[in-house]
Amino acid sequence: MLQYIAPASGLLFTLQNILWINIGVFIGAVFAAIPGLTVVLCVILFLPLTYSLSAIPGMMFLLGIYCAGGYGGSVSAILINTPGTPHAAATMLDGHPLSKAGRTKAALKIALYASTFGGIFSALALLFLGPQVAKLAAQLGTPEYFMVCVFGLTIIAGVSGKSIIRGVIAACLGLLISCIGSDPMTSYDRFTFGIRRLYLGLDVAVCLIGLFALVEIVSRAEQKPDALHMDARKMRDNGTITKEEYKRLVRPTLMGSLIGVMVGIIPGTGASEASWFSYSQAKNMSKHKEEFGNGSVEGIAAAESANNAVTGATLIPLLTLGIPGDGTVAIMLSALMINGLNPGLSLFTTQGDIMYAIMLGLILVNIFMLLQGKILTPIFAKVVSIPQEILTPIIVIFCFAGAYSVNKNYFDVCVALVFCVLAWILRKLDMPPVPILLGLVLGKMTETNFRRALLISNGSPKIFVSSVYCWIFIGLIVLAVGTILRNQIKEKKARAASVSKEE
Amino acid sequence: MMDKIYVRLDALGEKLKTKECRIPVNLAVGVVFFLFSAVILLTMPQQVAISEKDVVNGRAFPKLLMGVMMFCCVLLAAKDIYKLVKKQPIEWKTLNLLVEIKALVILGILLITYVLWRASGYFVLGAVFCALAFLIYFRCKKPSYYAITVGMAVGIWAVFRFLLNVRL
Amino acid sequence: MKKRSIRRLCLVLALVMVLGISGATSAFAAETWTVTCPYAASGVAAVVSNKAAEKSVEYSDSITLVAEAIPGGEATMNTWILDHTANDPNLVFVGEGVLSITALLDPAKLQFDYEDLAYVENLYSSIFVMSADAKLEINNIDDLKAYVAEADEISVATNGATSSEAFLVAALFGSMEAGDKLKLVPYQSAAEAAQAVSKGETDFAVSHQSQILEAYNQGAVTVVCAFDGEDLESEYFGTVEGVGKYGYPYFRNRCPIMAAAGTDEEKIAELKELYDEILADEEVVEWLHETMLLEVDPLTKEELEEHLANVKSIAEEYMDVVVG
Repeated sequence: MLQYIAPASGLLFTLQNILWINIGVFIGAVFAAIPGLTVVLCVILFLPLTYSLSAIPGMMFLLGIYCAGGYGGSVSAILINTPGTPHAAATMLDGHPLSKAGRTKAALKIALYASTFGGIFSALALLFLGPQVAKLAAQLGTPEYFMVCVFGLTIIAGVSGKSIIRGVIAACLGLLISCIGSDPMTSYDRFTFGIRRLYLGLDVAVCLIGLFALVEIVSRAEQKPDALHMDARKMRDNGTITKEEYKRLVRPTLMGSLIGVMVGIIPGTGASEASWFSYSQAKNMSKHKEEFGNGSVEGIAAAESANNAVTGATLIPLLTLGIPGDGTVAIMLSALMINGLNPGLSLFTTQGDIMYAIMLGLILVNIFMLLQGKILTPIFAKVVSIPQEILTPIIVIFCFAGAYSVNKNYFDVCVALVFCVLAWILRKLDMPPVPILLGLVLGKMTETNFRRALLISNGSPKIFVSSVYCWIFIGLIVLAVGTILRNQIKEKKARAASVSKEE
Repeated sequence: MMDKIYVRLDALGEKLKTKECRIPVNLAVGVVFFLFSAVILLTMPQQVAISEKDVVNGRAFPKLLMGVMMFCCVLLAAKDIYKLVKKQPIEWKTLNLLVEIKALVILGILLITYVLWRASGYFVLGAVFCALAFLIYFRCKKPSYYAITVGMAVGIWAVFRFLLNVRL
Repeated sequence: MKKRSIRRLCLVLALVMVLGISGATSAFAAETWTVTCPYAASGVAAVVSNKAAEKSVEYSDSITLVAEAIPGGEATMNTWILDHTANDPNLVFVGEGVLSITALLDPAKLQFDYEDLAYVENLYSSIFVMSADAKLEINNIDDLKAYVAEADEISVATNGATSSEAFLVAALFGSMEAGDKLKLVPYQSAAEAAQAVSKGETDFAVSHQSQILEAYNQGAVTVVCAFDGEDLESEYFGTVEGVGKYGYPYFRNRCPIMAAAGTDEEKIAELKELYDEILADEEVVEWLHETMLLEVDPLTKEELEEHLANVKSIAEEYMDVVVG
């Protein structure tokens, strides 16, 4: 490895590369902050720019978009309670309450620092442990992927609000919605009700716009007229994070980064799953559980560090085995291949300088993301001081344009509106929307791996306990469920105690 | 003229503010989603084609989900019914008529924005309507706000149309 | 709102306008044709499409190709047909599996037929290879025959359940009279299928050559046979036996680019010319051969229809074997 570092550094540290990294980071951060404009869409739209570039500046530009996109989604989640990208939904749960409490800049700063830490952590994992981690990941197969999904579904309990049962119903609804469209195993269409536009299923980003962004606009109906005026606390916000808070951030950030790397190496999973796993874990481990959902600094750090730690980790199977972990990375693989680079372990010896330049470049991308983020944070924070009269229609216009951009058709805008109405009705029934999102994110992967595993085993469920990795995941699931039950019992006891005290 | 309309609307709002209805949350969720899952199960044979060769066919997973949903619904409803019989307090949700009508107005703005865009083929038209409609909804009287918001609406359209090449 | 804030907002607005206008000037310079690939973004067709898009800027001032991948196979195709009419600046990759196999075996899955499309050009042809879990030690067709005779069940990973790969493997084992032992395990892409066999999740996998290369280099799989008439002489895999030599069915994979039916013939001719220029580029030829392990293969409309008819006749012949 060391013999490649010097030539790789020579290839990487050029003015051209640094310029393209910065352009990519800026575009990625701004794009992802707009609801509906996902990182994949951004990469697709800007990919032609890389055609005239050689492999390294092209990859640096795309990595800039990819990493900054991981952070950018949190901006709108914190500012307007609308995740810019699906993976920022977990950040929203605490980011927006913290912003509402007059600490917008602090929330944005925590998201930025945690994202940068997660990004650099995973870049180092890629640099030093890439091939070893890839070999481990290669041992995980269909039953293990299914167990990861089941583990993911245990998170529902933590995000169900007042009633776990209502959360489970909401999650079932999300999982059912993910079944709409072409059956991933047989290609027959399902639940399309004669609507041909539903063949491809529903895009999570479009559903997200309806479930969170547009319904937030409709909820303006619940606001009192004085809510339109600026909150004086927001004007005084100086973005200070106390020493005690910094201390509290260490554990969830580290844990989130580790979870992000672990999730990222599994193809098919991505930043959304990682951020929810990490958020749930941080909540279970925190001494301040009551703060989660009400502006917990730990919640923001856990979600953001995890979703950015995925960036480097997804590159591990990509560069070492040629397996793209998610849609954005698949496009990067394409960009590498059109430059004549066919990823795989052999490329580490034949084109080691380029491979290591890309890996070192990822660290550089995260450093520039931090620098740009520091400049952009005060500007982003100003959004909360824009009067509601102006901000509300602008959000709607972005939402409509974003929903249309996903597949460039009007149908998606209708879908977003339908989800907005659905979310409003669910709100009236005190049904939490987050489990629906979890169902949407995990649905296809859960079902496909469940069915494929049973197909491989000829219908025998023993396949789900057939490897040591399956048992590890079963252990984690039992642990997660156990922790949830323990917390529930504790909460009930505390409630009963407070009632008896009042009496 | 606008002031007169606002006065009338305020008077109407005062009346509507007092009109509320309460729904037993768990019972309502239980009934609504039980019926929903029953409908899905009933329509499944028409909606999901399967092949006899499949080890686990395309209906298995949705059936499992609807089974879980039905079970949860029965649990929720039974819990509330038991409490009602035992005359224990249950969870209620209060709906305020004024809030719901305001929500319908906002939904109406969203819908008209879409219809204008769809019918004319010009996103910018829907965007300008949306900007103006919300400013009127919020009873904004500052001309500068109107100029800024409409300008932003046009600007967003321009960025998507020309810079990102999304043919809005 | 303070005056300063309003001024700032106006500045942002002005900036947005400037960006919009500057974008407009560049956007109108050349007509953009979006080429949709209904397969994985990392798949062979999508990567080749990206390469063609990259090259289009060099060879045309009037047309810029933009590649996009929307995985979904038939579902993507059905949606594409719904969205696009004649003369829309959009093109789509259509595999022979959709037009000749799915249309025959499972027509309910398609909402269109060949008549709804206008042929532009075919870019490449690919010889699929079947790889085996290295532990099985199957290196050629004789080994395979021996294995098939002994095995109770043969699991094969393929890209989807109704693709060309799935049909080829079903026809191969059907011809060996082992169709009832065959278990097709569908994956979301050929690359995923290749990974499945290298993990030992299935016994075999059918994929493009480039997608199995890394697993082969690591010794996780052996390459058993190629779906071609003659042996495949590869600098990476050595000599790989062609199934055609043994009288088993085969065809090369081709994925022609189509426009919506009714598109101006002049425009189609212009697009075809652009693609032909790209395919004549020496760098592209070398790249297709060295990196993608494919062959440049432009076809006339008649040649394409002949290919589709050939695949269809094979599908008809082996339909009973495949459907069971």
